[in-house]
Amino acid sequence: MRLRFLAAALVLWAAPLAAEDLPARLGGDTSRAILGPQAFTLNAANQSAARQREFFFGNRLFNTNWVIAPSSTTKFDGLGPTFNRVSCSSCHTRDGRGRSPAEAGGDMMSMLVRLSVPGIDAHGGPKPHPAYGDQLQDRAIPGVPAEGRAVIRWVDIKGAYPDGTAYVLRKPEFKFAKMAFGDLGADILFSPRVAPQMIGLGLLEAIPEAEIRAGADPDDKNGDGISGRVNEPWDFATSKPALGRFGWKANQPSLRQQNAAAFNGDMGLTTSLFPETGCNAVQKACRKAVNGGEPEVEDEFLRKLTLYTQTLAVPVRRNADDPGVKRGEILFGEAGCTACHRPTWTAGAHEAPEVAHQTFHPFTDLLLHDMGEGLADGRPDFLANGREWRTPPLWGLGMIPVVNGHDELLHDGRARGPEEAILWHGGEAEKARERFKALSKADREALVAFLRSL
Amino acid sequence: MSMKTKLWVGLGAVALMGADLSVSPTHDLSLGLGSMAYAASPAGEGGEGGSEGGGAMPTSFKLNSTDANAFQYDAKAQVGGYAELVYDSYKASHEGAVKLQKAVTAFLAKPTTENLAAARIAWVNARIPYLQTEAFRFYDGPIDIDAKGEEGPEGHINAWPLNEAFIDYVKGAAKSGIVNNPKIKITADSILENDQVDDEADVTTGWHAIEFLLWGQDFSATGPGNRPASDYAAGKGNNDRRRLYLKTVTDQLVENLAGLADAWAPGKDNYAKTFQALDQREALGRVFAGLASLAGHELMSERLQVALDSGDQEDEHSCFSDTTRNDFIYDIRGMRNVWYGDSQGKDRPGLDALLAAQDPALALKIAGLINKSEAYAAALPQPFDSVLVSAKDSPERKNAEALAASLKDLADGFADAGAKLGVLVVIPTE
Repeated sequence: MRLRFLAAALVLWAAPLAAEDLPARLGGDTSRAILGPQAFTLNAANQSAARQREFFFGNRLFNTNWVIAPSSTTKFDGLGPTFNRVSCSSCHTRDGRGRSPAEAGGDMMSMLVRLSVPGIDAHGGPKPHPAYGDQLQDRAIPGVPAEGRAVIRWVDIKGAYPDGTAYVLRKPEFKFAKMAFGDLGADILFSPRVAPQMIGLGLLEAIPEAEIRAGADPDDKNGDGISGRVNEPWDFATSKPALGRFGWKANQPSLRQQNAAAFNGDMGLTTSLFPETGCNAVQKACRKAVNGGEPEVEDEFLRKLTLYTQTLAVPVRRNADDPGVKRGEILFGEAGCTACHRPTWTAGAHEAPEVAHQTFHPFTDLLLHDMGEGLADGRPDFLANGREWRTPPLWGLGMIPVVNGHDELLHDGRARGPEEAILWHGGEAEKARERFKALSKADREALVAFLRSL
Repeated sequence: MSMKTKLWVGLGAVALMGADLSVSPTHDLSLGLGSMAYAASPAGEGGEGGSEGGGAMPTSFKLNSTDANAFQYDAKAQVGGYAELVYDSYKASHEGAVKLQKAVTAFLAKPTTENLAAARIAWVNARIPYLQTEAFRFYDGPIDIDAKGEEGPEGHINAWPLNEAFIDYVKGAAKSGIVNNPKIKITADSILENDQVDDEADVTTGWHAIEFLLWGQDFSATGPGNRPASDYAAGKGNNDRRRLYLKTVTDQLVENLAGLADAWAPGKDNYAKTFQALDQREALGRVFAGLASLAGHELMSERLQVALDSGDQEDEHSCFSDTTRNDFIYDIRGMRNVWYGDSQGKDRPGLDALLAAQDPALALKIAGLINKSEAYAAALPQPFDSVLVSAKDSPERKNAEALAASLKDLADGFADAGAKLGVLVVIPTE
């Protein structure tokens, strides 16, 4: 009996896993086979014990509830004065993905709204609103007014596949309430963003810049209908523009800066990179509030948090040998999805040895693409225009419901599962979307099953 | 032995992951596990989310081998002995909590400084048997997952760190917390409804909530918190709400521990029965998962290294009462109990003898590591805070680092032992 089992195993082993030999270990040697609600929370499988210790401290920081200064925990105070949430993990619960408010009009627990007015700032980025800055902070410490709140409402959009199967998409509409410093004004630009899952980010950081740039085709010279542009946000460490990799519009060049910006914008915490608390002139109570040190987050903490975000493991694929999943993978390629959702990369050198030189499978080109009017936020962000979004990685997609108990996708969580997310694709992705729509129901389900296996 | 023995787990109806999967970064199983396969979780699709502490388990612990003669041993006595130990331990913990409940009742009847001191002593004494049950966590047993498959009581019993300001007043915020918020009616249900809702640290229940209510915040480098007994004088300010809060969470703790003892009680249709009906190696896998996770993750990393690196009292497990040293000592005692099977004067079949029959040298090594860890834990200063503020090369810090290293070796030893016994040992992290 035992021998027969083994023989079966070896046969499966020898068989090619998929058309493109996509391995189970999407994150290369960082991959982890522990599935379930903790699937996004694990450190890279190839991490040394010494670095694991730093990872766990980073985990502590990620879960830290920053408190109001002054406090007895001097190293962990300085929250606000205005903020969105008190810890990283409140939005990225179990290192996972945020969502839109569960009830329409409810508080945003794991998403936020970026703000700006037309024009650019000194670094070529969005021009902050004169009173509210570049992000609506919907919470504040006692004695300081919260800036206001964004209220979400859903509008149904009906559609049908060529085979007659009907579907309903939902589009969010926003209004702003309880605004502490007056109306946002007629020329306000805003962009709602949910917190993405944290897995595999170090691998993305380790892709050689030249290779990402090589994929760009801004004028569509190859005539495939897909342009792909790089974003070049400001790098505050080097004081010059750099290739953007992170954020919904690739508006952050590095994880360190992304983390420091999130400390600053989302929790109201200063770092050596962003030493100012974002209280504009009109926010008088905010400006008077006590700070928790200068900076509030010490450099060593920022370093360990960054190590943490660089080395969260990618979970292995599930059901990779399922015939439907294999069929879905082929269809995914045939529909043209891989033109932007590039399956495979090989990392270059990187300060994190766990990710350096790994071959991995994130399904992104890290480039900006025009996604059409339906998804447009109309808010430029460095080189990204109001219709462009960075191709998000697809790894871990099927584990989001397990880790976070929801299946919301896209920048504002409007898509309820991969199928709706595909149907929202427009602009450069319109042809691929139409190919998906033209598939038989069984084939559409196979393609979605493939996505859920990632 | 010219050929390497190949091992794998979890071949079943679920798809085989044909890849070279690492299991634990802390440990190389060095038995050809490089070619081990791992079963996919059946909950991988469309699940309803889940609780922390649940779900980090492999679907199968049992290692299969190309060697038909591998793992031919009988562990029925050990599996039964373990179930008995767990029951006895929860029973002792429940009895301790009942004594605490009596002391709290006496204190609330007559809120004197003496009665407060007696309640604190009862808390410290009740913690001792409870800590010895922490080795029964981390494998989706009753403490982590309840009989309905929902989140078990662990998060309500021992959650930390705790935002004390969510419960009651703190320095600089006289009106903070549920106690001082008359909009919230204090009942067992309302306290549970408010537990860790928006934030994992908004803990409202359990040992550390009671600890804070008995001691208050600790601002002393040499002693614990010093809440006055007058906080519980009836009829003043929000004291009646505080009195009710303390009584309610103490009652909840007693009830939770009674439930755990019940889940392991012999002769009932409960988890103990299910556990003993498992394939022996699936049962042993759970035992090892508990041991290795407590040593190599919870104690070494979360409670020791993180505290050493932050130097912050918030990272001290029992920071209000300054009993963190006990937390280490009795958690390790709990591992000793499992390893040898004996506790409370009873001698039950333990893992030590089982492993010694397969690999006496490894059994000896683990015995040595338990002794060593206990010695380092005993040498921790009282209060534990003083390590956190001590200089980098101070003897206190060196001792604490040695404890961390010893706990890591112990976790690795458990993983080695598991491999010898044909059991996959996974150390899940959070």
